[in-house]
Amino acid sequence: MSAEVPVRLTVNGNEIAVEVPTSEMLFDTARDRLGLTGANLGCDHASCGACTMIVDGDPRASCSTFTWAAEGAEVTTIEGLGGDSPVQRAFADRSAFQCGYCTPGLIMTTTAMLAEIPEPDETTIREWISSNICRCTGYAMIIEAAQAAAEESCA
Amino acid sequence: MTRVDAAAKVTGTAGYTVDVDLPGMLHAKVLRSPHAHALVRSIDVEAAAAAPGVRAVLTRDDLIAPLVASASYGYFIKDQPILALDRVRYIGDPVVAIAATTEREAVAALELVRVEYEPLDAPSTIDEALADGAPELFPEAPLGIVPAYGQGASGALRPAPNVCYRFAYETGSASAFDECDHVFTDTFDFDGRQQHVHLEPFVAVAQWTPDDRLEVWSSCQNAFPVRKELGRVLGLSEARIRLRVPFIGGGFGAKNGCKTEPIAALLARKAGAPVRYCLTNDENFLTQRQHNARITVTTGVMDDGTLIARRAQVLLDAGAYADASPLVAEKAGYRIAGPYKWKHIDSVCDAVLTATTPSGPFRGFGGTQASFACESQLDMIARRLGIDPVQLRMRNLLDLHEPYVPGESGMDSDLRAGLDLVAEAIGWSHDRPAGRGRGLAIGFKDSGGVNKPAQARVKVSTSGDVFLHCGTVEIGQGITTALREVVARILGVPIARVHWPQTDTDHSPFDQGTNASSGVSVMGQAVERAALAARSKVLEFAAGALERPVHELDLDDGFVVAGDERHPLAPMVMRTYGGTGFEFTGEGFFKAEEDHRAPLETQCVSWEYGWGAAEVEVDEETGLVTVHRLVVSGDAGVALHHDVCRGQDEGAALMGYGGAMFETMRYDGARLANGEMVSYRPARAVDVPAEFVSILQEQGHGPGPFGSKGMGEGAMLPVGPAIANAIEDAIGVRVTRTPFTPENVLAAIDERDRRAAEAAR
Repeated sequence: MSAEVPVRLTVNGNEIAVEVPTSEMLFDTARDRLGLTGANLGCDHASCGACTMIVDGDPRASCSTFTWAAEGAEVTTIEGLGGDSPVQRAFADRSAFQCGYCTPGLIMTTTAMLAEIPEPDETTIREWISSNICRCTGYAMIIEAAQAAAEESCA
Repeated sequence: MTRVDAAAKVTGTAGYTVDVDLPGMLHAKVLRSPHAHALVRSIDVEAAAAAPGVRAVLTRDDLIAPLVASASYGYFIKDQPILALDRVRYIGDPVVAIAATTEREAVAALELVRVEYEPLDAPSTIDEALADGAPELFPEAPLGIVPAYGQGASGALRPAPNVCYRFAYETGSASAFDECDHVFTDTFDFDGRQQHVHLEPFVAVAQWTPDDRLEVWSSCQNAFPVRKELGRVLGLSEARIRLRVPFIGGGFGAKNGCKTEPIAALLARKAGAPVRYCLTNDENFLTQRQHNARITVTTGVMDDGTLIARRAQVLLDAGAYADASPLVAEKAGYRIAGPYKWKHIDSVCDAVLTATTPSGPFRGFGGTQASFACESQLDMIARRLGIDPVQLRMRNLLDLHEPYVPGESGMDSDLRAGLDLVAEAIGWSHDRPAGRGRGLAIGFKDSGGVNKPAQARVKVSTSGDVFLHCGTVEIGQGITTALREVVARILGVPIARVHWPQTDTDHSPFDQGTNASSGVSVMGQAVERAALAARSKVLEFAAGALERPVHELDLDDGFVVAGDERHPLAPMVMRTYGGTGFEFTGEGFFKAEEDHRAPLETQCVSWEYGWGAAEVEVDEETGLVTVHRLVVSGDAGVALHHDVCRGQDEGAALMGYGGAMFETMRYDGARLANGEMVSYRPARAVDVPAEFVSILQEQGHGPGPFGSKGMGEGAMLPVGPAIANAIEDAIGVRVTRTPFTPENVLAAIDERDRRAAEAAR
């Protein structure tokens, strides 16, 4: 077993202090210690994006982000968006999901994208959300939801 | 209208089986075979059993009474052992299972297991498995049955070594070939071993209750058949097993039949504690895949393009165990004629065992393979005869309501209307931009399953709230939205007042499973009948209470409407049944009637089509194919929810696109070379063709509620052949091997050049 280290970080606006093994991933810290179960574990290799959280503004695969590496970071999970953010509303209104397993991750990636690029063109959206696999939708409705969220956020 | 599952899914509160967390729950992992084919000489688990955190170890020695009644499971053929018995049959075959306090401890303990193997030759391809003297994966025939077939169809177990099942179908006389002006034979290699890539892995949680019942939560598509098979394997009657299905994070066919459930149940039994057995996504690649296939099609045709006779030989690579291969063989063999008029059809489809990951149900279910061969060859024939491919199809397509084959149900879409739509959308009759080619195809499959019963129950409460009970599961397809909409319309309530508890075999009415695009066209009819029955009960009660004839009454959101009068239901109910009220229950059942004239013993409930068109450009130096425009269209009959239907078509189309263009599990001999998501690379957003158009048709001829019909597979089917046809249109090269990677396309270009050089000599 790996040694435990103290880590302080801010999760969804709350300051958190935890003692975690150096091998522990942010995904597990959120799920097992903080009860934040919205992110889903898919590939476990930072390839599918289902576990995406926003860490200091960047979308990160929480399955492959060591918790100790998030020391001092601002972490936002799907729970931190409040349930009715423009991106969440757009995904709901436009049925930009099917099984929903990838959806929290895609919403986090889209949220991070819009924070950095408020008016993305379609190519930009495609490139950003290509970090996330959605096996159900064929992506077109997700791209449209991202565009709708961008319009609403800018309006 | 938003989908009923929108709020749960955009907030991350939707609960999946992976989220099930029971007090004291252990975690299971398995040791997998490093050999493709080997005898298992000995297994030593002594050190592993003593490792930290380990609570139970399971090996072949445990797979006997009283713990286990049958060591192997399967669909029609019971050939897949829970854990390896005398031998292993593919790299990844489970050998030992361990439950420990954490997954990490289970994995660490598995490192301490010692297994002695005696390697055997492993047939890893169809050719190797069928070669004379090939090593047999099953030297003795496993237990199996052949389902009943009707007119012209037959099945056989183990007709040849390493062939687990043969399906054959014939109608008309083979002498029809004699009258043809031309007979063409072409062979196609559907080399796509697509991985489902359901993001939620195979997972089950099992526990034994104090009254000795087995409770299982599983990410599975067919709860009742899994309950039955678990009962057979474990020697338990149905009443001793309770299976629940939360939201499912994707399945695409893979999550039919036993997967993780037996091991979870047995470890829970041995450990005396709940066990969660969750695979990694890498392990999904070692559990289930799509069938690759070699298909030889012989087609007799007249000078004017009239199709006369079709003969087909389909070889499906079933992988190491039969799984659903008999059914996939049946479907591939049955669908190979396509939706066209024939005087004669004969087809044989063999499911060939190889020492690779077992193949199983995959969206399209044999139809993807059959449509690729069928629709590719039609274009080849059109070119050979100098006929426009659209005209060739128009001349031969079955008419609306015309039976597929003798004894079968009729087409429930106007096929020509759909072809017109996609031809128009791709600009078929207009000039191609320089260097580009266009192609079209019609994907085809029967829909709704075979001989499939469905039951549903609808309850109307005192205040007019509605409960829908049925065993179809929400796997993303939007069925909980679509069928709640059906009930809401029939009972005159807003959809928000229709509650649908998740599948629980203790409480849900029986259902055969969520598969075969049957949710709307089969379960939909049961739900419709249940809702109508409940409505009748409420109205009959109200008619008595109000002393009015039933036909003058209607329901509207908790009120009984009689002309201009509105009577609230609740006080009326309580006056009769007392203050705590009452519930009106309607039951619904649907199953296609048994019919021995129908080749599959019942007529197909519905037919699913996917019309597709592509515009491509090919770099002849590199073999790179760029699809600039992809058009797909499906027919929902009547769309119960527009976005749900659109999403089904687009998702199916992109899955078909990935399979056509680049997705395949690559084997180096019997060793899987890309068994994880990075190197396998499922389709991502950047892969979507620049112009991706889906056209949702509502032709209104479906058997489901209000004229709806199942969809979700159809749009997958035409994508591959449409692109292949477009490639030939662009560069005059026919690619008969999927996927259309630069490697496969270059090989076809080289073959063309070689033939041209030969002709010039």
